[in-house]
Amino acid sequence: MMQEIMIVGRGGQGAQTAGNLLAQAFFAEGRYVQSFATYGGARRGGPVASSIRVDDKPVRLRCNIERASAVLCFDSSLLDAALLKVADPRTWIVVNTAKPKEAFKDLGDFRIVPVDGRDIAIRFGMGKVVNSALLGAFAGILGEPRLEILCDVIEQTAPRSKEQNLAACRYACDIARHVH
Amino acid sequence: MPAQASGVLLSGNHAVSTAVLLARPDVIPVYPITPQTPILERITELHSEGRLKTELLTPESEHSAMAACISASATGARVFTATSSQGLLLMHELLHFASGARTSIVMCNVNRTPAAPWGFWPDQTDSLAQRDTGWIQVYSESPQESLDGVLQLFRVAESARIPAMISHDAFYVSHALEPVDVPAQDIVDAFLPPFKPEFCLDNELGASFCAPNDQQSWRSSRVDLDAAMARVPELMREAGRLWGELTGRSYDLIERYRMEGASVVLVTMGSMSGTVREAVDAMRAQGIEAGMLKVRLFRPLPAAALRAALAGVPCAIVLDRNYSPGTGGVLHQELKSALFGMKNAPRVHGVLAGVGGVNVSPAGIRGLVAEHRDRAPQPAPVWME
Repeated sequence: MMQEIMIVGRGGQGAQTAGNLLAQAFFAEGRYVQSFATYGGARRGGPVASSIRVDDKPVRLRCNIERASAVLCFDSSLLDAALLKVADPRTWIVVNTAKPKEAFKDLGDFRIVPVDGRDIAIRFGMGKVVNSALLGAFAGILGEPRLEILCDVIEQTAPRSKEQNLAACRYACDIARHVH
Repeated sequence: MPAQASGVLLSGNHAVSTAVLLARPDVIPVYPITPQTPILERITELHSEGRLKTELLTPESEHSAMAACISASATGARVFTATSSQGLLLMHELLHFASGARTSIVMCNVNRTPAAPWGFWPDQTDSLAQRDTGWIQVYSESPQESLDGVLQLFRVAESARIPAMISHDAFYVSHALEPVDVPAQDIVDAFLPPFKPEFCLDNELGASFCAPNDQQSWRSSRVDLDAAMARVPELMREAGRLWGELTGRSYDLIERYRMEGASVVLVTMGSMSGTVREAVDAMRAQGIEAGMLKVRLFRPLPAAALRAALAGVPCAIVLDRNYSPGTGGVLHQELKSALFGMKNAPRVHGVLAGVGGVNVSPAGIRGLVAEHRDRAPQPAPVWME
């Protein structure tokens, strides 16, 4: 069964990098992946989206994701009715926010999991760089890719602060496993 | 146990840069433009690391880049460049020059909407608007096809002495990170011998290329180009067959997908082919005899292969991710002309699907088949919602 995952964020937050890291981790597990980004006149702060397909056979589709099995949202201001068109009540939606789950109840019947990526990033000395924390939380909630494989990919690709990135990823994965 | 993915993860653009590394080009004049830029970035990285030994030129525009490509190719150098959309359109004047001068340049174009309005979306109008410039044109469905295609085009362009362009769609191929099999250098070296043209610019000779000609010799240049173009389908077939022997991935001018006994065939090019495969499988599972004909070689148009593939098929629906104002879809027009006069030709419908990069899903394609298969084709362009 093909999984279709959307990562949305704002230019500069690392959402596209996160999409490619997630694809690399699934690929390291032997899965077929396709990760593509779309952006217009990409600029810092503008909305960007990364789409990932994961399957046990080569991915042939070359179109947008219309029904996501999971969504990772780097900025809660992007979590709106337009984005939720790709979700159904079974779609895991991990959102980077300090707000509690109840703050999103007006959006409808969705499996929204708030994760305070900013708080985790600061705790591990990462400042505003939230993608390792959010990827860890996402993997914790989905149950895949395996944390150690995700950590290997982060270690191989992080340009600096490898230990901090890994610690943030592991911590976020651990707390996310306990929120649902 | 499901199959395990293998190879390396590469985007379509980086697959092209990897093919360029393997092809050992002598000269690469190139100018950046979204969404082609990752091709240039990876080439410049490989060059600065000392892995790609080439003369890398970064002139002030695409027009200058193509001018440098022509001069370099005329000296007998192996030449690569890449561009997209506005960049390709700026090169237009020199694309004619490149084929008229019988260069062997290989170019990758990333298909992107031409302005105005400004946009960065997958749309093939940019390269299809170059169909009369005398370049070989191939369209790629995937990063793997882009890597394999660049290497095959070097062989064909250098053999036919006609420049060649491979196009892949913005984002759906250019920025799609996927498992790609990268052939070993010795396989590529066996496939692609060094470029040794019969004639080239040479300081020792004191002869010039492309000086003003009289009417007869200008005409002769085009008669010669026509004869060279006529050889391209067989050169492409041979390259695709040999590549298959070396790598296990063979290629033809067109690809038939599930066309056995098909009552309706979707005809398309580029990234949309992948989505059409899924739509065809879903329709076959419902008992609808659908198939796909993918056009890989667009110039020269493989008319004989298209006629053979569609003989006896009742209905063909062309999906054009491009728009030529005043006629409609370019592939639709080309296919109708290729099939003209054929006794058992299909009814040919044309649908403008995905123009401007709008999404075309398998469900949308199934809807088009249901809508058009039992209707008479429309003379005016039909726009998919």
